Amino acid sequence: MNTNSHGHSLAIAGGVAALAVLPFLAGNAYLEHLLVLWMLYALLALSLNIVIGYLGELTFGHAAFVGVGAYTSAILSTQLGLPPLLGLPMAGLVAAAFGLVIGYAALRVVGPQFAILTLGFGAILFTITNHWVDLTRGPMGITDIPPMAIGPLAFDSARPTYYLVLALVLATAWLCHALVSSRTGRAFLAVRENAPLAASLGINVFHTKLLGFVAATAIAGIGGAIYAHYIRVITPDIMGVHNVAALIIVVIIGGRGTILGPILGALVYIGLLESLRVAGPLRMVIFAALLTGTVVFLPGGLVSLWQRWRNSHKAENNLPATPTGLPSTEGGAK
Amino acid sequence: MNAAAQEIPAKEILAVSNLTRIFGGLTAVRDVTMTVQAGEVVGLIGPNGAGKTTLFNMLGGSLPPSSGSIRFDGTDCTGAPSHVMGQRGVSRTFQITSLFPSLTALDNVRSAAYRTTRAGWGASILRNAAYRREEAELRRKAMDILVFCDLDHRADTLADAMSYGEQRRLEIAIALAAEPRLLLLDEPAAGMNPEEGQRLVEMIRRIRARGVTVLLVEHHMRVVASVCDRLVVLDHGVKIAEGAPAQVLNDPEVIRVYLGREPVDA
Repeated sequence: MNTNSHGHSLAIAGGVAALAVLPFLAGNAYLEHLLVLWMLYALLALSLNIVIGYLGELTFGHAAFVGVGAYTSAILSTQLGLPPLLGLPMAGLVAAAFGLVIGYAALRVVGPQFAILTLGFGAILFTITNHWVDLTRGPMGITDIPPMAIGPLAFDSARPTYYLVLALVLATAWLCHALVSSRTGRAFLAVRENAPLAASLGINVFHTKLLGFVAATAIAGIGGAIYAHYIRVITPDIMGVHNVAALIIVVIIGGRGTILGPILGALVYIGLLESLRVAGPLRMVIFAALLTGTVVFLPGGLVSLWQRWRNSHKAENNLPATPTGLPSTEGGAK
Repeated sequence: MNAAAQEIPAKEILAVSNLTRIFGGLTAVRDVTMTVQAGEVVGLIGPNGAGKTTLFNMLGGSLPPSSGSIRFDGTDCTGAPSHVMGQRGVSRTFQITSLFPSLTALDNVRSAAYRTTRAGWGASILRNAAYRREEAELRRKAMDILVFCDLDHRADTLADAMSYGEQRRLEIAIALAAEPRLLLLDEPAAGMNPEEGQRLVEMIRRIRARGVTVLLVEHHMRVVASVCDRLVVLDHGVKIAEGAPAQVLNDPEVIRVYLGREPVDA
């Protein structure tokens, strides 16, 4: 949001170039697979960040929409023979339709009540997926999902898939940047910061939240579809609570309300998840501790470290401190 | 309608008739009828619990009336929700400091200009000419408002980090950014020292000069007497007096219910 745009665009160009050459540095299929997972989590976390970061509402239902997208595209391609490329927008549309209905009901309440409602709706979607065996094959899951393909270009391995998801991450990052630098996004932030004041300024709080929620679920659905066609197997577990927790952890640790935060958080999450494999089930305890530590000591997430450093650096040189970027949701209660 | 309003040739921007609000067994506002002419500065006064803020909440749309009607600029607005009143041009400030705490002053004002801007998310994705023109225009207008409220040097400061007086001015900047036709100020001078109060009076005069009609709730009699064209006095939810400040503040009934026994030096 800051305007020293020259240095900014240079840094962004450098970052994108680094991301583009990463698979060549990875050297083996395992690391390339991790890169894909990083980008997938970054995509999903960016979408969740629209709700948590910009609208300031906590949702526990996000994984369910990822699942809706994954199942939509998987069922369309395995049972109706629809090309996965067409399944992708369908996944986004169906997830958005679910988001519209659920958001329409759940966004009537705010704060903890909204969070609990989304948890409930997520559980309902999980249960339906788990038991509607005729459609979803229940706990057996759907197997033999064809890989994504654009014409002759098949995304059947990690490297091409990485570039596909990277492109989607960059597009979503641009969507988010465009959002917060527009009237619409400023309405999002106004609603997060002070809903009664936002309403008195002519902002329809309910519609604003619904728009954000539906946009977030649409992107989640697309992410889910990519996952399904990459892993080639999906089970109802994709909608499970552990995935909800993972996405929330990624957004909070990285820095909610920012664009870099969710991408960075996803890197930390995937990196720790793999490097802590030796710790077995203890990993989740470590993640819980990390989440707690972040909330207490670094509410702005990892990205706020950089802003802190820059501000202290400026203070040393007697320069005016810049505000800490897009802020956390702490102020929402006022 | 109101007997006091019939002679005034100016356009009636707000007409409240027989407005009542009941909370359980308590009638917070009872049968209040009043009008505000375009361009006027009207003060709403009364002791604590007189129903001033309840009346304000009904005018701002955050509280539906139990009975009676509100007309804004000739349109019936009774029971219209807050964002509809906002879209029609009624802006308000709140009794307790109310802003967007973790946004900068500039972004506070830009967010508040929602009603006056058009280019949304789509235009921003495409970065088309309309978007760029509007954003440049918005930035200029927002800076103008910050200058007007003497906050331009704080444009990049988070609202949270400002002093109390600055925050109260930022609230007015936010309300002005919506380019309201009617501005409702709820105790803008609360907690201000005499010097800040004087500054506020100047600001309200300049707001009026911009063509904005102002209705304010205030306890500082000095502020009220020096800025208002007309006063409306509420007591226990009932309108007990209305008229020019000098006249109202010397009304024995007003003095009895509100100002104690002593006459006021207005």
